[in-house]
Amino acid sequence: MKKIINSPENLVPEMCEGIVKANPSLEFLPKYKVIKRKDLNPDKVALISGGGSGHEPAHAGFVGYGMLDAAVCGDVFASPSSVQVYNAIKAVKSTKGTLLIVKNYSGDCMNFDAAKEDAKDDGIDVESVYVNDDIAVKDSLYTIGRRGVAGTVFVHKTAGAAAEDGKSLAEVKAAAEKAIANVRSIGFALTSCTVPAKGTPTFSVGEGDIEYGVGIHGEPGIARQPLQSSDALAEKMTAALLADLKISSDTEIAVMVNGFGGSPLQELYLFYNSVTKFLPDYLRIHKVYIGNYMTSIDMAGASLTFFKLDAELKKYLDAETKTAAFK
Amino acid sequence: MSVFTLNDIEKIISVMTEVILKNEVAFCELDSAAGDGDFGMSLAKGFNELKKEWASLERTDIGGFIRSCGGVIAEYCGGASGPIWGGGFKASGKYAAEKKTLSLYEFAEMLGAAADGIMKRGGAKPGDKTLLDALVPAVDALKAAAASGADVKTALKKGAEAAVNGAEATKNMIASRGRASYVGERSISYPDAGAAALGVIFTKIADAF
Repeated sequence: MKKIINSPENLVPEMCEGIVKANPSLEFLPKYKVIKRKDLNPDKVALISGGGSGHEPAHAGFVGYGMLDAAVCGDVFASPSSVQVYNAIKAVKSTKGTLLIVKNYSGDCMNFDAAKEDAKDDGIDVESVYVNDDIAVKDSLYTIGRRGVAGTVFVHKTAGAAAEDGKSLAEVKAAAEKAIANVRSIGFALTSCTVPAKGTPTFSVGEGDIEYGVGIHGEPGIARQPLQSSDALAEKMTAALLADLKISSDTEIAVMVNGFGGSPLQELYLFYNSVTKFLPDYLRIHKVYIGNYMTSIDMAGASLTFFKLDAELKKYLDAETKTAAFK
Repeated sequence: MSVFTLNDIEKIISVMTEVILKNEVAFCELDSAAGDGDFGMSLAKGFNELKKEWASLERTDIGGFIRSCGGVIAEYCGGASGPIWGGGFKASGKYAAEKKTLSLYEFAEMLGAAADGIMKRGGAKPGDKTLLDALVPAVDALKAAAASGADVKTALKKGAEAAVNGAEATKNMIASRGRASYVGERSISYPDAGAAALGVIFTKIADAF
Protein backbone atom coordinates (compact mmCIF):
# COMPACT_ATOMS: atom_id res chain seq x y z
CA MET A 1 0.00 0.00 0.00
CA LYS A 2 1.46 3.34 -1.07
CA LYS A 3 1.08 6.32 1.30
CA ILE A 4 2.36 9.89 1.35
CA ILE A 5 4.49 9.41 4.43
CA ASN A 6 7.95 9.79 5.95
CA SER A 7 7.70 7.19 8.68
CA PRO A 8 4.61 5.63 10.31
CA GLU A 9 5.83 6.58 13.83
CA ASN A 10 5.86 10.31 12.99
CA LEU A 11 2.62 10.35 11.02
CA VAL A 12 0.42 11.93 13.70
CA PRO A 13 2.79 14.73 14.85
CA GLU A 14 3.78 15.59 11.26
CA MET A 15 0.10 15.72 10.26
CA CYS A 16 -0.69 17.96 13.25
CA GLU A 17 2.17 20.31 12.32
CA GLY A 18 0.69 20.51 8.82
CA ILE A 19 -2.76 21.33 10.17
CA VAL A 20 -1.55 24.25 12.30
CA LYS A 21 0.79 25.59 9.61
CA ALA A 22 -2.15 25.64 7.19
CA ASN A 23 -4.43 27.25 9.81
CA PRO A 24 -2.58 30.03 11.62
CA SER A 25 -5.38 30.51 14.17
CA LEU A 26 -4.49 27.10 15.61
CA GLU A 27 -1.62 26.01 17.83
CA PHE A 28 -0.09 22.53 18.34
CA LEU A 29 1.15 21.32 21.73
CA PRO A 30 3.46 18.49 20.61
CA LYS A 31 4.10 16.89 24.01
CA TYR A 32 0.42 15.98 24.45
CA LYS A 33 -0.64 16.11 20.78
CA VAL A 34 -3.25 18.77 21.43
CA ILE A 35 -4.42 21.20 18.74
CA LYS A 36 -6.00 24.30 20.29
CA ARG A 37 -7.32 27.71 19.39
CA LYS A 38 -4.82 30.53 19.84
CA ASP A 39 -7.56 33.07 20.66
CA LEU A 40 -9.18 31.33 23.63
CA ASN A 41 -12.11 33.08 25.28
CA PRO A 42 -11.71 32.35 29.00
CA ASP A 43 -15.28 33.49 29.69
CA LYS A 44 -17.09 30.82 27.69
CA VAL A 45 -17.42 27.10 28.37
CA ALA A 46 -14.34 25.31 26.99
CA LEU A 47 -15.07 22.45 24.58
CA ILE A 48 -12.70 19.55 24.03
CA SER A 49 -13.06 16.53 21.80
CA GLY A 50 -10.63 14.10 20.30
CA GLY A 51 -9.97 10.47 19.79
CA GLY A 52 -7.81 8.33 17.61
CA SER A 53 -6.26 9.86 14.50
CA GLY A 54 -7.30 8.65 11.06
CA HIS A 55 -10.67 10.46 11.04
CA GLU A 56 -9.42 13.72 9.57
CA PRO A 57 -10.66 16.39 9.38
CA ALA A 58 -12.10 15.20 12.72
CA HIS A 59 -11.40 16.48 15.21
CA ALA A 60 -8.72 19.15 14.68
CA GLY A 61 -10.56 20.53 11.65
CA PHE A 62 -13.44 21.50 13.93
CA VAL A 63 -11.33 23.59 16.33
CA GLY A 64 -12.12 27.28 16.04
CA TYR A 65 -14.74 29.93 16.69
CA GLY A 66 -18.18 28.38 17.14
CA MET A 67 -17.00 24.81 17.64
CA LEU A 68 -14.15 23.25 19.66
CA ASP A 69 -11.40 24.89 21.71
CA ALA A 70 -9.11 21.88 21.56
CA ALA A 71 -8.80 18.47 19.91
CA VAL A 72 -6.67 15.75 21.50
CA CYS A 73 -5.04 13.46 18.95
CA GLY A 74 -4.39 9.81 19.74
CA ASP A 75 -2.45 7.44 17.54
CA VAL A 76 -4.19 6.06 14.49
CA PHE A 77 -7.53 4.65 15.68
CA ALA A 78 -6.44 4.65 19.34
CA SER A 79 -7.83 6.93 22.02
CA PRO A 80 -5.46 9.53 23.42
CA SER A 81 -4.24 8.71 26.93
CA SER A 82 -5.84 10.23 30.01
CA VAL A 83 -2.62 12.23 30.52
CA GLN A 84 -3.05 13.84 27.10
CA VAL A 85 -6.70 14.67 27.75
CA TYR A 86 -5.94 16.03 31.23
CA ASN A 87 -3.32 18.36 29.78
CA ALA A 88 -5.75 19.55 27.11
CA ILE A 89 -8.25 20.38 29.87
CA LYS A 90 -5.59 22.43 31.63
CA ALA A 91 -4.47 24.13 28.40
CA VAL A 92 -7.91 25.54 27.54
CA LYS A 93 -9.31 26.03 31.06
CA SER A 94 -12.07 28.63 31.32
CA THR A 95 -13.94 30.37 34.11
CA LYS A 96 -17.16 28.67 33.03
CA GLY A 97 -15.90 25.08 33.08
CA THR A 98 -15.13 22.49 30.42
CA LEU A 99 -17.25 20.05 28.43
CA LEU A 100 -15.67 16.91 26.94
CA ILE A 101 -17.38 15.56 23.83
CA VAL A 102 -16.49 11.88 23.67
CA LYS A 103 -17.34 9.34 20.99
CA ASN A 104 -18.77 6.28 22.72
CA TYR A 105 -15.92 3.73 22.54
CA SER A 106 -14.45 1.76 25.45
CA GLY A 107 -10.99 3.30 25.17
CA ASP A 108 -12.15 6.87 24.67
CA CYS A 109 -14.62 6.67 27.56
CA MET A 110 -12.04 5.24 29.97
CA ASN A 111 -9.34 7.77 29.08
CA PHE A 112 -11.60 10.84 28.98
CA ASP A 113 -13.31 9.78 32.23
CA ALA A 114 -9.98 9.27 34.01
CA ALA A 115 -8.82 12.71 32.80
CA LYS A 116 -12.08 14.25 33.98
CA GLU A 117 -11.60 12.79 37.46
CA ASP A 118 -8.00 14.06 37.61
CA ALA A 119 -9.06 17.55 36.51
CA LYS A 120 -11.91 17.60 39.03
CA ASP A 121 -9.37 16.77 41.75
CA ASP A 122 -7.58 19.95 40.67
CA GLY A 123 -10.79 21.92 41.15
CA ILE A 124 -11.61 22.30 37.44
CA ASP A 125 -15.31 22.02 36.62
CA VAL A 126 -15.55 19.32 33.92
CA GLU A 127 -18.54 17.55 32.42
CA SER A 128 -18.75 15.07 29.56
CA VAL A 129 -21.19 13.85 26.93
CA TYR A 130 -20.96 10.64 24.89
CA VAL A 131 -21.99 10.59 21.26
CA ASN A 132 -23.65 7.34 20.09
CA ASP A 133 -25.29 8.06 16.74
CA ASP A 134 -24.48 4.83 14.86
CA ILE A 135 -27.68 2.79 14.51
CA ALA A 136 -25.77 -0.22 13.14
CA VAL A 137 -24.85 -1.20 16.67
CA LYS A 138 -27.43 -2.68 18.95
CA ASP A 139 -27.95 -0.67 22.10
CA SER A 140 -28.52 -2.84 25.12
CA LEU A 141 -27.76 -2.99 28.80
CA TYR A 142 -25.30 -5.80 28.16
CA THR A 143 -23.06 -4.06 25.66
CA ILE A 144 -21.12 -0.82 25.58
CA GLY A 145 -23.85 0.60 23.37
CA ARG A 146 -23.82 2.42 20.08
CA ARG A 147 -20.66 4.05 18.82
CA GLY A 148 -20.07 7.68 17.91
CA VAL A 149 -19.52 8.40 14.21
CA ALA A 150 -20.17 11.31 11.81
CA GLY A 151 -23.05 12.73 13.85
CA THR A 152 -20.42 13.88 16.34
CA VAL A 153 -19.76 16.86 14.06
CA PHE A 154 -23.29 18.16 14.68
CA VAL A 155 -22.73 17.77 18.43
CA HIS A 156 -19.54 19.86 18.17
CA LYS A 157 -21.50 22.48 16.24
CA THR A 158 -24.41 22.59 18.68
CA ALA A 159 -22.28 22.74 21.82
CA GLY A 160 -19.92 25.21 20.18
CA ALA A 161 -22.69 27.64 19.29
CA ALA A 162 -24.25 27.34 22.76
CA ALA A 163 -20.87 28.03 24.37
CA GLU A 164 -20.22 31.10 22.17
CA ASP A 165 -23.71 32.25 23.16
CA GLY A 166 -22.44 32.55 26.74
CA LYS A 167 -24.43 29.64 28.12
CA SER A 168 -23.43 27.93 31.39
CA LEU A 169 -21.71 24.55 31.52
CA ALA A 170 -25.01 22.85 32.43
CA GLU A 171 -26.79 24.58 29.53
CA VAL A 172 -24.07 23.72 27.01
CA LYS A 173 -24.12 20.11 28.21
CA ALA A 174 -27.91 20.01 27.86
CA ALA A 175 -27.68 21.39 24.32
CA ALA A 176 -25.06 18.77 23.40
CA GLU A 177 -27.23 16.01 24.84
CA LYS A 178 -30.21 17.27 22.90
CA ALA A 179 -28.14 17.10 19.71
CA ILE A 180 -27.03 13.56 20.60
CA ALA A 181 -30.64 12.51 21.15
CA ASN A 182 -31.60 13.79 17.70
CA VAL A 183 -28.76 12.61 15.47
CA ARG A 184 -28.42 9.17 13.85
CA SER A 185 -26.03 7.68 11.29
CA ILE A 186 -25.48 4.49 9.32
CA GLY A 187 -22.57 3.62 7.03
CA PHE A 188 -21.24 1.11 4.55
CA ALA A 189 -17.77 0.30 3.22
CA LEU A 190 -16.71 -0.86 -0.23
CA THR A 191 -13.13 -1.50 0.88
CA SER A 192 -11.19 -1.72 4.12
CA CYS A 193 -8.83 0.98 5.29
CA THR A 194 -5.09 0.47 5.67
CA VAL A 195 -3.52 1.52 8.98
CA PRO A 196 -0.09 2.96 8.06
CA ALA A 197 1.82 1.09 10.78
CA LYS A 198 0.36 -2.21 9.61
CA GLY A 199 0.57 -1.55 5.88
CA THR A 200 -2.11 -4.02 4.84
CA PRO A 201 -5.92 -3.70 4.81
CA THR A 202 -7.60 -4.37 8.19
CA PHE A 203 -10.27 -6.59 6.67
CA SER A 204 -10.75 -8.05 3.23
CA VAL A 205 -13.90 -7.51 1.23
CA GLY A 206 -14.28 -9.08 -2.19
CA GLU A 207 -14.99 -7.19 -5.44
CA GLY A 208 -18.61 -8.28 -5.29
CA ASP A 209 -19.27 -7.47 -1.63
CA ILE A 210 -19.71 -4.57 0.78
CA GLU A 211 -19.67 -4.26 4.58
CA TYR A 212 -22.96 -2.80 5.77
CA GLY A 213 -23.27 -1.07 9.14
CA VAL A 214 -19.54 -0.42 9.29
CA GLY A 215 -17.74 1.74 11.84
CA ILE A 216 -14.94 4.22 11.32
CA HIS A 217 -11.95 2.16 12.48
CA GLY A 218 -11.84 -0.66 9.99
CA GLU A 219 -13.83 -2.83 12.35
CA PRO A 220 -16.08 -5.04 10.24
CA GLY A 221 -19.72 -4.06 9.81
CA ILE A 222 -22.80 -5.86 11.06
CA ALA A 223 -23.22 -7.79 7.82
CA ARG A 224 -21.41 -8.69 4.63
CA GLN A 225 -23.73 -7.98 1.71
CA PRO A 226 -23.49 -8.24 -2.05
CA LEU A 227 -22.51 -5.03 -3.86
CA GLN A 228 -25.65 -3.05 -4.65
CA SER A 229 -26.69 0.14 -6.41
CA SER A 230 -26.53 3.57 -4.80
CA ASP A 231 -30.35 3.72 -4.92
CA ALA A 232 -30.71 0.39 -3.12
CA LEU A 233 -28.33 1.49 -0.35
CA ALA A 234 -29.99 4.90 -0.04
CA GLU A 235 -33.46 3.40 0.24
CA LYS A 236 -32.42 1.00 2.99
CA MET A 237 -30.40 3.58 4.94
CA THR A 238 -32.97 6.35 4.68
CA ALA A 239 -35.72 4.06 5.95
CA ALA A 240 -33.55 2.83 8.84
CA LEU A 241 -32.68 6.37 9.96
CA LEU A 242 -36.27 7.65 9.75
CA ALA A 243 -37.49 4.65 11.75
CA ASP A 244 -34.83 5.06 14.43
CA LEU A 245 -35.53 8.78 14.75
CA LYS A 246 -39.28 8.01 14.81
CA ILE A 247 -39.92 10.54 12.06
CA SER A 248 -43.34 10.02 10.50
CA SER A 249 -44.76 13.48 10.07
CA ASP A 250 -43.76 17.08 9.31
CA THR A 251 -40.12 17.38 10.45
CA GLU A 252 -37.11 19.47 9.58
CA ILE A 253 -33.67 17.85 9.34
CA ALA A 254 -30.08 18.49 8.35
CA VAL A 255 -28.44 15.78 6.26
CA MET A 256 -24.80 14.75 6.05
CA VAL A 257 -23.35 12.43 3.45
CA ASN A 258 -19.95 11.72 4.91
CA GLY A 259 -17.20 10.12 2.87
CA PHE A 260 -14.91 7.66 4.63
CA GLY A 261 -11.80 8.95 2.84
CA GLY A 262 -11.55 6.72 -0.21
CA SER A 263 -14.69 7.64 -2.13
CA PRO A 264 -14.66 10.55 -4.59
CA LEU A 265 -17.03 13.48 -4.18
CA GLN A 266 -18.82 12.54 -7.41
CA GLU A 267 -20.00 9.35 -5.73
CA LEU A 268 -21.04 11.20 -2.57
CA TYR A 269 -23.14 13.67 -4.60
CA LEU A 270 -24.61 10.80 -6.61
CA PHE A 271 -25.46 9.02 -3.37
CA TYR A 272 -27.18 12.15 -2.04
CA ASN A 273 -29.25 12.25 -5.21
CA SER A 274 -30.28 8.67 -4.45
CA VAL A 275 -31.19 9.63 -0.88
CA THR A 276 -33.52 12.41 -2.09
CA LYS A 277 -35.56 9.85 -4.04
CA PHE A 278 -36.59 8.16 -0.81
CA LEU A 279 -37.33 11.15 1.42
CA PRO A 280 -41.00 11.47 2.32
CA ASP A 281 -42.80 14.67 1.27
CA TYR A 282 -43.35 15.78 4.86
CA LEU A 283 -39.61 15.94 5.51
CA ARG A 284 -38.05 19.38 5.09
CA ILE A 285 -34.30 19.61 4.44
CA HIS A 286 -32.79 22.63 6.18
CA LYS A 287 -29.14 22.08 5.24
CA VAL A 288 -27.05 19.46 3.47
CA TYR A 289 -23.39 18.67 4.13
CA ILE A 290 -21.51 16.53 1.64
CA GLY A 291 -17.85 15.68 1.99
CA ASN A 292 -15.25 14.07 4.20
CA TYR A 293 -16.02 14.98 7.82
CA MET A 294 -15.36 11.79 9.79
CA THR A 295 -13.14 9.52 7.75
CA SER A 296 -11.64 6.11 8.23
CA ILE A 297 -8.24 6.85 6.62
CA ASP A 298 -8.63 5.60 3.04
CA MET A 299 -11.72 3.42 3.32
CA ALA A 300 -14.09 3.64 0.35
CA GLY A 301 -17.70 4.09 1.41
CA ALA A 302 -19.90 6.61 3.12
CA SER A 303 -22.23 7.23 5.98
CA LEU A 304 -25.57 8.99 6.03
CA THR A 305 -26.54 11.15 8.99
CA PHE A 306 -29.93 12.71 9.78
CA PHE A 307 -30.06 15.47 12.39
CA LYS A 308 -33.60 16.23 13.55
CA LEU A 309 -34.02 19.95 14.20
CA ASP A 310 -36.16 22.15 16.39
CA ALA A 311 -35.91 25.94 16.72
CA GLU A 312 -33.03 25.77 19.21
CA LEU A 313 -30.92 23.21 17.32
CA LYS A 314 -31.58 25.06 14.07
CA LYS A 315 -30.38 28.33 15.60
CA TYR A 316 -27.17 26.66 16.79
CA LEU A 317 -26.61 24.95 13.44
CA ASP A 318 -26.98 28.28 11.65
CA ALA A 319 -24.72 30.22 14.03
CA GLU A 320 -21.41 31.53 12.74
CA THR A 321 -18.47 29.10 12.69
CA LYS A 322 -14.85 29.68 11.72
CA THR A 323 -13.07 26.35 11.48
CA ALA A 324 -10.95 24.66 8.85
CA ALA A 325 -13.41 21.92 7.99
CA PHE A 326 -16.94 23.06 8.82
CA LYS A 327 -18.57 26.21 7.49
CA MET B 1 12.68 -20.92 45.03
CA SER B 2 9.55 -20.25 47.08
CA VAL B 3 9.22 -16.45 47.14
CA PHE B 4 9.38 -13.70 44.52
CA THR B 5 11.91 -10.93 45.10
CA LEU B 6 12.00 -7.57 43.32
CA ASN B 7 14.56 -9.16 41.00
CA ASP B 8 12.10 -11.88 40.02
CA ILE B 9 9.33 -9.34 39.41
CA GLU B 10 11.72 -7.31 37.24
CA LYS B 11 12.52 -10.48 35.30
CA ILE B 12 8.80 -11.22 34.80
CA ILE B 13 7.99 -7.74 33.53
CA SER B 14 11.10 -7.74 31.37
CA VAL B 15 10.05 -11.05 29.73
CA MET B 16 6.54 -9.64 29.31
CA THR B 17 7.98 -6.54 27.61
CA GLU B 18 10.07 -8.59 25.19
CA VAL B 19 7.11 -10.83 24.29
CA ILE B 20 4.90 -7.80 23.61
CA LEU B 21 7.53 -6.07 21.46
CA LYS B 22 8.32 -9.25 19.53
CA ASN B 23 4.65 -10.03 18.87
CA GLU B 24 3.48 -6.55 17.89
CA VAL B 25 2.30 -7.58 14.41
CA ALA B 26 0.96 -10.97 15.56
CA PHE B 27 -1.14 -9.31 18.26
CA CYS B 28 -2.48 -6.78 15.73
CA GLU B 29 -3.55 -9.68 13.53
CA LEU B 30 -5.40 -11.29 16.43
CA ASP B 31 -7.34 -8.04 16.74
CA SER B 32 -8.13 -7.75 13.02
CA ALA B 33 -10.55 -10.67 12.99
CA ALA B 34 -13.27 -8.88 14.94
CA GLY B 35 -11.66 -5.69 16.26
CA ASP B 36 -9.85 -2.86 14.54
CA GLY B 37 -6.39 -4.37 14.31
CA ASP B 38 -4.36 -1.99 16.44
CA PHE B 39 -4.05 -3.94 19.69
CA GLY B 40 -0.44 -5.09 19.23
CA MET B 41 0.69 -1.64 18.26
CA SER B 42 -1.05 0.12 21.18
CA LEU B 43 0.44 -2.35 23.64
CA ALA B 44 3.92 -2.22 22.10
CA LYS B 45 3.94 1.55 22.28
CA GLY B 46 3.57 1.51 26.06
CA PHE B 47 6.02 -1.33 26.67
CA ASN B 48 8.54 0.20 24.30
CA GLU B 49 8.48 3.33 26.45
CA LEU B 50 8.74 1.13 29.55
CA LYS B 51 11.91 -0.40 28.11
CA LYS B 52 13.32 3.07 27.45
CA GLU B 53 12.59 4.23 31.00
CA TRP B 54 13.57 0.88 32.56
CA ALA B 55 16.71 2.15 34.33
CA SER B 56 14.95 5.08 35.96
CA LEU B 57 11.89 3.24 37.34
CA GLU B 58 11.30 3.28 41.09
CA ARG B 59 12.88 0.27 42.83
CA THR B 60 12.32 0.78 46.56
CA ASP B 61 9.99 -2.22 46.79
CA ILE B 62 7.88 -4.51 44.59
CA GLY B 63 4.75 -2.37 44.82
CA GLY B 64 6.58 0.83 43.95
CA PHE B 65 8.28 -0.79 40.97
CA ILE B 66 5.04 -2.20 39.54
CA ARG B 67 3.22 1.08 40.14
CA SER B 68 5.85 3.05 38.30
CA CYS B 69 5.61 0.57 35.39
CA GLY B 70 1.83 1.15 35.43
CA GLY B 71 2.28 4.91 35.16
CA VAL B 72 4.35 4.57 31.99
CA ILE B 73 1.98 2.02 30.48
CA ALA B 74 -1.12 4.12 31.25
CA GLU B 75 0.46 7.17 29.64
CA TYR B 76 1.96 5.59 26.54
CA CYS B 77 -0.25 2.63 25.55
CA GLY B 78 -2.82 3.91 23.12
CA GLY B 79 -6.55 3.39 23.14
CA ALA B 80 -8.22 1.15 25.68
CA SER B 81 -4.94 -0.66 26.42
CA GLY B 82 -3.56 2.24 28.48
CA PRO B 83 -6.29 2.31 31.13
CA ILE B 84 -6.71 -1.48 31.11
CA TRP B 85 -3.08 -2.66 31.27
CA GLY B 86 -1.92 0.43 33.17
CA GLY B 87 -4.87 0.05 35.55
CA GLY B 88 -4.00 -3.63 36.10
CA PHE B 89 -0.39 -2.74 36.91
CA LYS B 90 -1.45 0.06 39.25
CA ALA B 91 -3.86 -2.23 41.15
CA SER B 92 -1.11 -4.87 41.47
CA GLY B 93 1.33 -2.24 42.67
CA LYS B 94 -1.12 -1.13 45.30
CA TYR B 95 -1.53 -4.72 46.53
CA ALA B 96 2.26 -5.18 46.74
CA ALA B 97 2.93 -1.77 48.33
CA GLU B 98 6.07 -1.77 50.50
CA LYS B 99 6.60 -5.52 50.03
CA LYS B 100 10.16 -6.74 49.47
CA THR B 101 9.09 -10.32 48.74
CA LEU B 102 5.90 -12.10 47.71
CA SER B 103 4.94 -15.68 48.52
CA LEU B 104 3.50 -17.70 45.66
CA TYR B 105 0.01 -17.21 47.08
CA GLU B 106 0.58 -13.46 47.46
CA PHE B 107 1.81 -13.35 43.86
CA ALA B 108 -1.46 -14.99 42.78
CA GLU B 109 -3.46 -12.55 44.91
CA MET B 110 -1.57 -9.66 43.36
CA LEU B 111 -2.64 -10.78 39.88
CA GLY B 112 -6.16 -11.14 41.27
CA ALA B 113 -5.96 -7.50 42.35
CA ALA B 114 -4.99 -6.63 38.76
CA ALA B 115 -8.08 -8.48 37.48
CA ASP B 116 -10.28 -6.60 39.97
CA GLY B 117 -8.74 -3.28 38.94
CA ILE B 118 -9.36 -4.04 35.26
CA MET B 119 -12.98 -5.05 35.94
CA LYS B 120 -13.55 -1.83 37.84
CA ARG B 121 -11.97 0.33 35.12
CA GLY B 122 -13.57 -1.25 32.07
CA GLY B 123 -16.83 -2.58 33.49
CA ALA B 124 -16.21 -6.05 32.03
CA LYS B 125 -16.50 -9.38 33.83
CA PRO B 126 -15.35 -12.92 33.01
CA GLY B 127 -17.33 -14.30 30.07
CA ASP B 128 -17.43 -10.98 28.19
CA LYS B 129 -14.66 -12.15 25.84
CA THR B 130 -11.87 -9.99 27.20
CA LEU B 131 -8.40 -10.57 28.64
CA LEU B 132 -10.11 -11.33 31.97
CA ASP B 133 -11.04 -14.72 30.51
CA ALA B 134 -7.34 -15.63 30.50
CA LEU B 135 -6.28 -13.67 33.58
CA VAL B 136 -8.90 -14.92 36.05
CA PRO B 137 -8.33 -18.65 35.32
CA ALA B 138 -4.56 -18.06 35.59
CA VAL B 139 -5.05 -16.46 39.02
CA ASP B 140 -7.22 -19.39 40.15
CA ALA B 141 -4.68 -21.95 38.89
CA LEU B 142 -1.81 -20.12 40.62
CA LYS B 143 -3.75 -20.01 43.88
CA ALA B 144 -4.59 -23.73 43.64
CA ALA B 145 -0.95 -24.57 42.90
CA ALA B 146 0.22 -22.45 45.84
CA ALA B 147 -2.30 -24.15 48.15
CA SER B 148 -1.05 -27.59 47.07
CA GLY B 149 2.53 -26.63 47.90
CA ALA B 150 3.77 -26.53 44.30
CA ASP B 151 7.08 -24.81 43.53
CA VAL B 152 7.18 -21.56 41.56
CA LYS B 153 8.10 -23.16 38.25
CA THR B 154 5.26 -25.71 38.43
CA ALA B 155 2.79 -23.06 39.56
CA LEU B 156 3.72 -20.66 36.75
CA LYS B 157 3.35 -23.49 34.26
CA LYS B 158 -0.14 -24.29 35.62
CA GLY B 159 -1.05 -20.61 35.49
CA ALA B 160 0.14 -20.36 31.88
CA GLU B 161 -1.85 -23.42 30.85
CA ALA B 162 -4.97 -21.98 32.44
CA ALA B 163 -4.44 -18.67 30.61
CA VAL B 164 -3.97 -20.43 27.26
CA ASN B 165 -7.06 -22.59 27.83
CA GLY B 166 -9.02 -19.54 28.96
CA ALA B 167 -8.04 -17.68 25.79
CA GLU B 168 -9.02 -20.67 23.68
CA ALA B 169 -12.44 -20.72 25.36
CA THR B 170 -13.09 -17.11 24.28
CA LYS B 171 -13.51 -18.43 20.72
CA ASN B 172 -17.00 -19.56 21.69
CA MET B 173 -17.97 -16.27 23.30
CA ILE B 174 -19.72 -13.25 21.82
CA ALA B 175 -17.88 -10.02 22.58
CA SER B 176 -19.84 -7.52 24.65
CA ARG B 177 -17.02 -5.04 25.39
CA GLY B 178 -14.63 -3.13 23.18
CA ARG B 179 -14.80 -2.73 19.43
CA ALA B 180 -15.21 -6.47 18.80
CA SER B 181 -18.65 -6.11 20.41
CA TYR B 182 -19.92 -4.14 17.41
CA VAL B 183 -19.82 -7.22 15.21
CA GLY B 184 -21.76 -9.29 17.77
CA GLU B 185 -22.04 -12.88 16.65
CA ARG B 186 -19.44 -12.36 13.95
CA SER B 187 -16.84 -12.37 16.74
CA ILE B 188 -17.54 -16.07 17.36
CA SER B 189 -14.74 -18.51 16.42
CA TYR B 190 -12.03 -15.88 16.92
CA PRO B 191 -10.28 -15.71 20.32
CA ASP B 192 -10.19 -12.40 22.16
CA ALA B 193 -6.93 -10.68 21.26
CA GLY B 194 -6.12 -9.58 24.82
CA ALA B 195 -6.79 -13.04 26.26
CA ALA B 196 -4.73 -14.74 23.55
CA ALA B 197 -1.85 -12.32 24.16
CA LEU B 198 -1.94 -13.03 27.90
CA GLY B 199 -1.73 -16.77 27.12
CA VAL B 200 1.47 -16.15 25.13
CA ILE B 201 2.89 -13.84 27.80
CA PHE B 202 2.23 -16.24 30.70
CA THR B 203 3.74 -19.14 28.71
CA LYS B 204 6.99 -17.24 28.07
CA ILE B 205 7.18 -16.15 31.71
CA ALA B 206 6.80 -19.76 32.87
CA ASP B 207 9.54 -20.80 30.41
CA ALA B 208 11.89 -18.21 31.91
CA PHE B 209 11.82 -19.75 35.40
